[in-house]
Amino acid sequence: MHPPLALHAERLTKRYGRRTALADCDLSVPRGHVVGLVGPNGAGKSTLLQLACGLTAPTSGSLTVLGSPPAADAAHLARVGFVAQDTPVYASLTVAEHLRMGAWLNPSWDAALARRRVAEVGLDPAQKAGRLSGGQRAQLALALAAAKRPELLILDEPAAALDPLARREFMHGLAGFVRELGAGAVLSSHLLGDVAQVCDHLVVLCAARVQVAGPVTDLLATHRRAAAAPAGAEVVWAEPGRVVVRGPAVRDDAPVTLEELVLAYLSRAAARPAVIR
Amino acid sequence: MIRMTVRQFRLPALAGAVALVLAGAYLLRLGADIRAEPDPARLPDRYAQTMLFLAGGFALVPALIGAFWGAPLVARELEQGTHRLAWNQSVPRRRWLAVKLAVLSAAAALVAGVLGALLTWAAAPVDRVAGDRFSTVLFGARGVAPAGYAVFALVLGVVAGLVLRRTLPAMAVVFLAVVVVQLAVPNLLRPHYLPPERVTVPMTAETVNRARNLGSITGSPVVGGLDVPGAWVTDISPLRTADGRQLSDAAFGTCFRDPPRTGATGTFGDTAVCLGGLDLHVDLAYQPNRRFWAFQWIELALHLGAAGLLAAFGLWHVRRRAG
Repeated sequence: MHPPLALHAERLTKRYGRRTALADCDLSVPRGHVVGLVGPNGAGKSTLLQLACGLTAPTSGSLTVLGSPPAADAAHLARVGFVAQDTPVYASLTVAEHLRMGAWLNPSWDAALARRRVAEVGLDPAQKAGRLSGGQRAQLALALAAAKRPELLILDEPAAALDPLARREFMHGLAGFVRELGAGAVLSSHLLGDVAQVCDHLVVLCAARVQVAGPVTDLLATHRRAAAAPAGAEVVWAEPGRVVVRGPAVRDDAPVTLEELVLAYLSRAAARPAVIR
Repeated sequence: MIRMTVRQFRLPALAGAVALVLAGAYLLRLGADIRAEPDPARLPDRYAQTMLFLAGGFALVPALIGAFWGAPLVARELEQGTHRLAWNQSVPRRRWLAVKLAVLSAAAALVAGVLGALLTWAAAPVDRVAGDRFSTVLFGARGVAPAGYAVFALVLGVVAGLVLRRTLPAMAVVFLAVVVVQLAVPNLLRPHYLPPERVTVPMTAETVNRARNLGSITGSPVVGGLDVPGAWVTDISPLRTADGRQLSDAAFGTCFRDPPRTGATGTFGDTAVCLGGLDLHVDLAYQPNRRFWAFQWIELALHLGAAGLLAAFGLWHVRRRAG
């Protein structure tokens, strides 16, 4: 039997009133990967991740995380670490108090890891969390989520509020940290550049639907850039002088970059939002 | 989770403790002053106003607890987004809320219970002489009932914060709601906890003059403020004639506006004499003072029960609410 998937969605739908945030999403993400979830703002990324950590419930369809419904019980909560968008922390508690809180509320807490991580990123344990910079707050939130020793780390736009330098630093640190934890991770961003450097699995979400998903190497291997649409291949997106196709390679084709690939799918979704499945 | 709750509750708890110490010191001082009074018979005269004032102020304690301890508890987390941090620790949401409710309920019961006990103690000599601790206003500032009010208000505050998701509106709503409940319970519910005893009081001129007020409300002639010794009067019927029918407005009006002149003195003068001659009576419903403690426990149980129902709703709601 296969170990359960990190994320497994079947016809997952979430509506807020009349607005559909996710429509009939099917998604299978194996464990142990670093998954980049990319898409423009409002694509449904946050909704998918909030569903995954149980902060909200699906309108219809099903979603399992590590083989169980999200946030099923205390044991399952302990297996998933979540860093919410804007990385909320308690403004009136100090960094050290946040770590103490983590120890109180998580049986699997790794105090040494938390302390080391906080020291590594240069946080003063006596500092009130409300006075940290955005980047420092993100680091604290990541340390809190990671010191639970989760099997899966979920990060919702962890770098969105950071300036480019802090963003690169954060992402760089994150990659090494996730590797060290031996955990899987799902991180979302509206910028491919953020996740491209760390992820080995990509999910492109746009207009409430999953446009394409798979290991980065497979995606790059199955997509080509052609000068004109060749017969027998699926055209993802065509524009004058450039066509991105999916299918076996034909003579004259050039390899596609990850950015071109993502852009092709996003352009297709934006052009025909209602038709694309 | 208990330690986390206590840590987050530190500031509000400190504010509550300071208020408790100040109020407690005042009540101890008041109790000592009352006990230093050489003539106990004069106590009600000297302290009746103070007792009413204290009972009125004390009635605000649950509203304050609900608004300042209860409402922000969850609403602030939802407002600042920290629930997304809290709910992703290895503590299921329902337990997170249950522990918070339990810890803060205990604190609320403690504060209101201690203040209530101190006030009961301080007022005891006055109550012994005046015999009116069962009255609508004083009852809620004596005995064990205040702890129930506080727990109810606290849980109401927490649940309102959870449902409304905004701290300030939740505080305002809870404060108002608790005040309304504090007014409604003594007037609408409390008289009916046990079947009242009834007595028929003949309306002689003398009895009419003992009444606090006299008048006609929408066509039914009523007297107000009649006492039954050693009891809390919960209902006074309109003036009735010997055959049990309500006194006609016309007859009442004659006595009220144009009574035969007899030169009588007394609160209502000639009107009292005129009404006294009509062979009238009123039916009183009352709760004897010996039921005071039974009513205290009933009131406590009622509020704790309501708090329990609210808490159950909150625990159900927190599980299914969206983040």
